[in-house]
Parts: sequence; structure tokens; C-alpha cells
Amino acid sequence: MYAFQLANRYLTSRIIPVIAVAAVALCVALVVIVVSVMSGFLDMLKSSGRTLMGDVVINYPVRGLPWYDELISTIEALPEAAAATALVDTYGLIRMPYPQGSDKEIVTANVWGIEPKSFERVTDFSKSLYWKPAHDEAAAKAMAPDDPRLSLSPQIEKDGLSLQQSGTNEPGMVMGIHVSIVNDRLRDGTYRTRYGWFMPDQRVTLTLVPISGKGTVAEPRERIFPVVNEFRSGVYQIDKNRVMIPLTEAQRLLRLDAGTLYDMEAPPNADGSQPVLGKSPARVHRVLVRAKLGVSPDVLREAVEVAYERFYAKAMADQSKVVKPPRRDMVSILTWEQHLRDLIGPVEKEREMMRILFSIVYLVCAGLVLSIFWAIVQEKSRDIGILRSIGASRPGVLWIFLQYGLVIGMVGGLVGVGLGYIVIHNINAIHEVIGEDAPRWSWIAAFACSVVALAMALRGAFCGSILRSLLWMVTALTLMIVGVGLLAHRGTLIWDPAVYYFSSIPDKVDWLTAAITWVGAVVFSVLGASVPAAKAADIDPVKALRYE
Amino acid sequence: MSDAKNKNTKNENALTNASANASANAPLLHARDLQKTYRLGQVNVPVLRGADFAIARGEWVAILGSSGSGKSTLLHLLGLLDEPDPLSGGLWFEGKPVTALRGTARNHYRNRLVGFVFQFYHLLPELNVLENSLLPCKVGAGLMGWPSARAAARQRTIELLHGFGLSDRLNHRPRELSGGERQRVAIARALANQPQLLLADEPTGNLDARTGGEILDMIAQLHRKGLSIAMVTHDPAVAARADRIVHLTDGKVTG
Repeated sequence: MYAFQLANRYLTSRIIPVIAVAAVALCVALVVIVVSVMSGFLDMLKSSGRTLMGDVVINYPVRGLPWYDELISTIEALPEAAAATALVDTYGLIRMPYPQGSDKEIVTANVWGIEPKSFERVTDFSKSLYWKPAHDEAAAKAMAPDDPRLSLSPQIEKDGLSLQQSGTNEPGMVMGIHVSIVNDRLRDGTYRTRYGWFMPDQRVTLTLVPISGKGTVAEPRERIFPVVNEFRSGVYQIDKNRVMIPLTEAQRLLRLDAGTLYDMEAPPNADGSQPVLGKSPARVHRVLVRAKLGVSPDVLREAVEVAYERFYAKAMADQSKVVKPPRRDMVSILTWEQHLRDLIGPVEKEREMMRILFSIVYLVCAGLVLSIFWAIVQEKSRDIGILRSIGASRPGVLWIFLQYGLVIGMVGGLVGVGLGYIVIHNINAIHEVIGEDAPRWSWIAAFACSVVALAMALRGAFCGSILRSLLWMVTALTLMIVGVGLLAHRGTLIWDPAVYYFSSIPDKVDWLTAAITWVGAVVFSVLGASVPAAKAADIDPVKALRYE
Repeated sequence: MSDAKNKNTKNENALTNASANASANAPLLHARDLQKTYRLGQVNVPVLRGADFAIARGEWVAILGSSGSGKSTLLHLLGLLDEPDPLSGGLWFEGKPVTALRGTARNHYRNRLVGFVFQFYHLLPELNVLENSLLPCKVGAGLMGWPSARAAARQRTIELLHGFGLSDRLNHRPRELSGGERQRVAIARALANQPQLLLADEPTGNLDARTGGEILDMIAQLHRKGLSIAMVTHDPAVAARADRIVHLTDGKVTG
């Protein structure tokens, strides 16, 4: 009982515990903020990867996978699979409509040929379409008055979803929102068009280079597409590079469409044509598969592997098929996570590195508590002698200081988690403020306060208190440095979307990490307190009570 | 672990039984051939060279000695705060040996059987008068025992403080008290657990003559109520208030 009382009094009657709590809180907040941002970043990366490519990807680049329709129906029959879609993935050149004149800009792009309906079932493509009018009053109210989406017709969304321009029925293109330079992203994440260009009103020329089965480059093919909409996935690299066109158009441009296979080595027929070997099926580079709810991508991948083997065996047995699909080992069947390993792996490693590096913070906590308590035990050794003289046991004395460490760890940890939560919750706002020049009042205020502090320092000096004068001097100097920093601050972009893929910083607290960090802070504070506590328990009461 | 605990409990019981069964003639506390040597660097400095001391129940004994004669050391040994040299004599409380007590039994001796009063009061600055005085009760009752012991201990201590003229000072911190008041609080603390023996180390050494006199009057009053007191002092005038004076010279108790 007395241990509680004394620990409580030692905590509340002096400033040192407050400093210890503040130090522990700052350490904990640091870990929570850094790891939460990293984890959030990883989650965003993973979830956007999944929305963009489904759960499992069958990949057979360049030559393309024949009889993919049959493969898709085999896969869609699986109990684990919800939907599957075929995809052509290539690179091409896009001639933009701007600037005015003959020297139009040309950009390279990652071109996906998709079948819109099944693609939507696999990837939630419709959610990423950017240009669509507000669906209801509330959504309209949420938009700024100058948001161009307010004046859009619902047709633009339908055109984007079907990849077809209404009216002309021409196959259309959906671009990543950052492929062109005319969309200007505002701080709130919405876009305004620049220079009077609105891409969905424009037409662009796409040039693709087909590659033959022998690996040689064939004559490039081009086609003009009306831009029907633009999409925003949230992943900057994708929004900057990818465009989508209808699958059949992509197949045609790349010579992956269906055709007739002639036997070029046999003697020609009587009419001069070569004898026909059979049908050459259309091909795709990828098949994306989405798992049913509750099925993990890994389970689906194994099922898809089996389905592919079945599809391959059936095609091999089918004498009418001259063109055979590639063997299982030539095709990569990966979950989206494995597919994006190159991207996710380093980030995961980075996060673990951060965890390890910031674990050193725990040692800082322990060291802080240890040194503070050491000083307190030194100062309180007489009290400990008194307690021993009235019959307090060694464990009792030990417990006073362990409790003290426990409370500092617990309170400091809680304050730290709270601080971390506040910072993370407002991290994008904070980033915005850092991204702008410091307002004039801020540095003027800092300098004014600094002058006041300097005056107080002089007053302290005249009154003969060196400590007071020194403290005011330090305050004045700190404020001066803050003022100079604010004056010199020119908006810095810390979170560059080109580097971090996403246009906003993750602002969700990783509660698991927060809990672990809190427990760590408590454990290490108690560990830090244990050394001085043991020293206190070992104090010889006779020596502690000696008068000299 | 549990063996040790049992042993300690046995020791405690032994002590309590000892007090119940002790014969009226046996001294309350008896020390024989106490030796204590301090080591200063390479040199051994003997302080006590075989001190014998006894105090009867209800007796007030003054141990008179000059500065550095080992008075405080003797008192610390009597209160089991310190250990005599190995192979030297020992200490008997109500006829039972207590020198070898360890752990809980030793803490119990300090907590229940004796009470210490120091020259410099040694109050805890963070606690107020009542809390300081209640401290031995809290220490003795432990975490589990305190809720049930609290009310009685509190009432007894408040009465004690009231008797010492400190009724209006209960919530004051030691720094708000005069030297005499502080020493009265220290005595109240020493008596909180109703010990059988008060060990006072120069209780008036830090006080002016008048306040010191008041403290001695208080001690005399407690003595009249039957408390046994061993008091060390260098001042013959203070020692004169006791029933009996012994001298500590050259590490031995005489007279």
C-alpha cells in the first residue's frame, strides 16, 4: 500500500516524471507514425494491385495464349473462381491532340486491350472511371462548384464502361488520368482541365508494333481512337502510363486476332493459294481471375493451375486444333501479390527495416527511464533508509520504483499513441502546410516572441538569476531559429506521387503496431526502472541514514 | 521459497510467543559482546569492542557517549538496522535470540517491536503529517491487510497526534512544520505500531533547549505510561532525565 502511495507522490510532486512521460510519448509516437504510414502504404499498394488485376494472373506474354475462351470457361466453372477475363498487354505510342499545330506531343503508353464486361467483373474497373456526373444530390453537393464533372452527361460513364463512343459507335480509349498533361490535380484530389482541353472530347492516334511468332518486329499499325473517358486507379505509375482499348482492337493491331493457318511449305493449290492447315485462334497475353468471396488468392491459384492442366490436356487431345496452347511450365500462374512482388517486396523489407531501426527507440525509452530513476533513487536514498528502518522489505522498496516505471511507460505510451493518432489522422493536411510557404504572420510571431524572451533574459540577468536568464536566452534562441526556419521555408513536396505511387499519404493508424509499441514502451520502461529499483532495494539503511 | 517463508513466519511466531511467555525478570532487550568494525580503505576501525547492554521492561536508559564513540552504531545494532561482526556476541529480545533473523522476521522486528526516532526527524517530504505517521502501519499491514487495518490504525494514529498537540497539522507537509513539531511527528510514527521499545538517537540534538525540553517531557510522559526507551545522547543534561545512564567509552558500555 505504501508503495502505491509513494510511487504516486514521487510521480506527482516533481517535474522529472513529466519529462520522462514526454520522452516516452515522443518515442512511441515516432514509431506509430512511421510504421502506420509504411503499413498503410503497403495496404494501398496491395489493395490497388488487387483491384487492378484480380486475384490470380495467368501470363503468357508476346506470343499470346490461344483458345483462351475455352480456358476462361474452364476456369469460370471452378467453384473457387468468380470471374475471369482476357487481356492483351503491350506498349505503344500515342499521338496527343495537343498542342495546336503540327508538332503534336507523342507519349509512350502501356496499352491494355480489355473485354469491358468481364474486365469489370474481375477488377471493379467502373469505380476507377473518373469522369462521371454526380449520381445524387449529396454527391453533387460534395463537389466544388467549378468541378467539371457537375456538367457531364451520364453517357460519358456508359461510353467509358463499354469502351465505345456513343453516336459513332467507334471503339474508344480510356486513358489514365495522368497520361495527358491537361488534367490538373487539386489538393482535394479532384481534377480541373487545363488550357481548355478536355480529353474525352479528343481523338488520339495509337501506334502498336506487332511481333511475329518468330520474334521479329512486323510493320507498325496505327488507329485513331476517340478518348471516351479517363480512369484514376490511385497508383500514380499506372495512371501516368496505362490506356485501355477494346480487346478485339488490340488483337487486330497486334495481329493476335483469329485467322486461317496456311501450310507455306506444301505446294500451292491449283488456284495458286497455299493449302489450309486449320484455324489460327485469337490470342491474349493474360487471363485475370477473380476469387469468390472468402477464397484466398493462393487457393484460387492452385485451382487455376489444375484447370490449366485440364485445359491443356483437352486441347492436345483435340485433333481439330492445329495450334496448341503452351505447356503449363511455359505459362506463369501467379497471385496478384506474387505478380507485384517486385513492387511489394522492397516496401515490405523497408517496413521491417524501419521496425528494427525504430526498435532502438525502446532502448532510448529504457535508457531515459533508467537515468532519470537513477537520479531519483540517489536523491531518495534517505527516504529508502527510513522505510527500511520502519520495517519495509527490499521487495517493497523495489516495487515502489518498478511501479513508477510502469506508470511512466503506460502513460507515456498512451500519450504517444494519441499523439501518433492525431498526426496520422491529419498527415495530409500537415503535408499540405509543409508544402506551402510559411505564412508571414508565423515568422513575425516567432521573432516577436523571441524579442520578448530576450527582454526577459536581460531582466533575469539584472535581477541576478543566472538560471532564469539562461532559460530565457535558450527560449529566445530557439524561437529565433524557428523564425529563421519559417522565413526560409519554401514549400517542400515530401510525398512525391511519382516516387510513392499514390497521390495521398496513408492516414490510418496501424493499431496492431500501436498496441505492440505501447506494450514495448511499458516493458522497456519497467526494465529501465528495474536497475535503479534494484539499487534502491540494496541500499544499506545505516549508510542512507548517516548524517554526514 | 515457501520454506523460507515458513521459516520467517515461524520466527515471527517465536517472537510473539516470546513476548507472551517471557518471564518478568528477563530484560526486554539484552545485548552481549557486541562488536562492530568499520573498514576505511585498508584500515579496520573497531567501533564497538564487545559492548554489553540490557534494558528492562518499562525502563528508560540513556547511553551517554562523546561524538564518534559508536552510540548510533549501538542503537542501529539494537534495532537490527545493522549487523554486528561475525563471531561476535548477539542480541536477545525477551529472551529470544534475534541477531540471526532474516527477511520478513527482521522486517517484523523493525516494524512492530521497536520504533526509531532520529536526530534529524527523517520524515518523508512527499507525505503529510498523518501519512508519515501511518507509514509503519501501512508497511506492516501489507497490500492485502491494509483495507481491514486502515480504520483502526488511522483512529489510533490521529489520537496519538492529538495527544502530541498536532491535531491541526494533520494535512501539513514536514516543510511546513517547526523542528519540534517534526520531532513529535517522528515520535508518533515510531509509536504508530505500538512497539515495546523506543530507540531514540539524539532526539533533541537538533532542537533548541526549550523545544528539546518539551520533547524530553513528552518522552518522559510516554515512559510513565510504561514504554521502554533506549536513548543515546552526548549531552549529560539530557541523559539525566533517564532512569539509568550507561556510558559508551572505547567501544564498551560501562556503568
